[in-house]
Amino acid sequence: MTVLSEHILEEIRDLPSKFPQPRSAVMPALDLAQEELGHLTPEAMTEVAHELQLDPGYVEGVATFYTLFHLAPTGKHRFYVCTNLSCMLRGADDVVARLKSEIGVHEPGEVSKDGLFSYEEVECLGACEYAPMCRVDHAYHYDLTPDSIARLVAERRNGGSAVAAPKKARAPRKRKADA
Amino acid sequence: MPELRGTVGGPVVTEWFGTQDLYKLDVYKQKGGYAALRKAMVDMKPVDITNEVKTSGLRGRGGAGFATGTKWGFINRDMPGPKYVVVNADESEPGTSKDRYIIENSPHMVLEGIMIAAYAVGANQAWVYIRGEYDEPYRMLTEAIAEARAAGYLGPKPMGIDFPLDIRLYRGHGAYICGEETALLESLEGKRAQPRSRPPFPAVKGAWGRPTLLNNVETLATVPWIVNHGGSEYAKRGTEKSPGTRLMSVSGNVKKPGVYEVELGQTFRHVIMELGGGPPDGRNVKVFWPGGSSAPVLPESMLDTHTDMEALAAARSMGGSGGVIVMDDSHCIIRAAHRLLKFYAHESCGKCTPCRVGGDWAVRTYERILANEGSQVELDILQRVSDALQNGRCLCGLGDSAGWVIDSTIRHFRSEYEDHALRHECNVGAVTALA
Ligand SMILES: Cc1cc2nc3c(=O)[nH]c(=O)nc-3n(C[C@H](O)[C@H](O)[C@H](O)COP(=O)(O)O)c2cc1C
Ligand code: FES
Repeated sequence: MTVLSEHILEEIRDLPSKFPQPRSAVMPALDLAQEELGHLTPEAMTEVAHELQLDPGYVEGVATFYTLFHLAPTGKHRFYVCTNLSCMLRGADDVVARLKSEIGVHEPGEVSKDGLFSYEEVECLGACEYAPMCRVDHAYHYDLTPDSIARLVAERRNGGSAVAAPKKARAPRKRKADA
Repeated sequence: MPELRGTVGGPVVTEWFGTQDLYKLDVYKQKGGYAALRKAMVDMKPVDITNEVKTSGLRGRGGAGFATGTKWGFINRDMPGPKYVVVNADESEPGTSKDRYIIENSPHMVLEGIMIAAYAVGANQAWVYIRGEYDEPYRMLTEAIAEARAAGYLGPKPMGIDFPLDIRLYRGHGAYICGEETALLESLEGKRAQPRSRPPFPAVKGAWGRPTLLNNVETLATVPWIVNHGGSEYAKRGTEKSPGTRLMSVSGNVKKPGVYEVELGQTFRHVIMELGGGPPDGRNVKVFWPGGSSAPVLPESMLDTHTDMEALAAARSMGGSGGVIVMDDSHCIIRAAHRLLKFYAHESCGKCTPCRVGGDWAVRTYERILANEGSQVELDILQRVSDALQNGRCLCGLGDSAGWVIDSTIRHFRSEYEDHALRHECNVGAVTALA
């Protein structure tokens, strides 16, 4: 039994032919694995390596370089809150403080007890004219205040169907299954 | 789409911004879109296109400001085998959001610029390396590419010319260093993004070992206008050595943050006080970063500095990415510098020792100062680390940028550093001790 399902492995096998050289498939393949499992386990990375005929150590070396790959479990909804300068100057620290208390965690990467939430403090997300801002469930949220971040948490905790599932956007305009 | 904050109906790049549904192909075409591609492919020879861009004087908007037409001329169009255009849409320089603004407003303008560039340098395939967090811009480009394919602009015979064209997207995964051109190429090839030493330059040996033209989103988005109106028309704007306009993302402590199209040579006073609306009531500008966090800071007394690259160089700074970060007098320069050094330390790829080690040293030193444990020793360490990071000791510019933050904030705010380090006082009354 593999940890990645057969159709994912098949998609991964198809990736190399889409690039001038097959190695370029490694990150898109890790995306597929992470999308299925939530984070990248050693077994998953080994399976990716196997399908792409690469060394597992190589694949792990790539995964650990990039912050959007997660090697430990994360919450179902991951908040990436920008705390770089333009957001900091407009109150990002207060937003982070409120977020931590709302989801009941003490540090970045820690998963809330219900498994629903975790957060990261991240570098500039390129939307500084809307500072402070964050990214959650593959969408940006702007002009944050402590109250508005609390609302984003509440919507995800209660709403269920009101909030899109945290799936990777792979095809445009495709309706995704609700959470 | 959220409320647009920035220039609409501006002189060049933003000319059509604000048009309802401009992101759709038919609306873009109604405005005059893809006329430049037709003109370039049907009426012009590739070398004429490159010459037109040379005449315009356009300089790269990604950070380094290299002459765009000259760069295009480096690619040997007649060399057999694949050649690529790679588009830098990694936009991760703190304070910079203009490429996102362009893509979200007018994805087809970006595609049209890419197609013209590809035809000019003889590349049949282009890759857009877009930062992974840009979900919406990615979706918009994906749809625009599908529309362009269906319309035949991409495919075997664009504009009826026997020159197959294809544009593909590649998503980044969260690493500032991927904006550096050779690190970007490593990443595109499926590797850890560590810069390569140059030469060979990408024009000779770039993506997958092949000749590659690498340009920023805004640079390419400017090209359709230049082809439509002529290079000399573009060169009438701006200054002699920094012609044209550029998009400046104004953020931080201003009343009207936004992405503004600015004619080069205007002053920062105009950009910050008029376009950006100035600082909040009752506050003054204390300092600004004129070209992203990597551009050495300028104090309020230098608001009349002009935005062209020569004026900025004379002021010992640079135009960089066009990100203007404004900080008012309620904030502490040491805390700001500490935050940025944390950024550079975190984003160092680890290949060059001064950058890998220096960033962390600086962060720890700032933390001692902010915890009121500073002394002359800390000030000396900061200066030494800053020197070690600069002047070509690292393969890419990341180390220099970190050094410039330290160096320029000390240069303009020495008394504040001394208050903090020697007297354990913060003159803006901010809480000095770190949590
Ligand atoms: C650390 C570092 C980060 C950079 N980040 C970006 C970036 O996010 N986007 C960009 O276009 N250029 C960035 N650059 C500049 C690129 O290396 C390159 O000069 C540019 O993309 C070339 O395109 P242009 O000539 O059109 O400006 C960065 C450079 C360095 C040293
Ligand atoms: S600093 Fe937060 S989005 Fe740029």
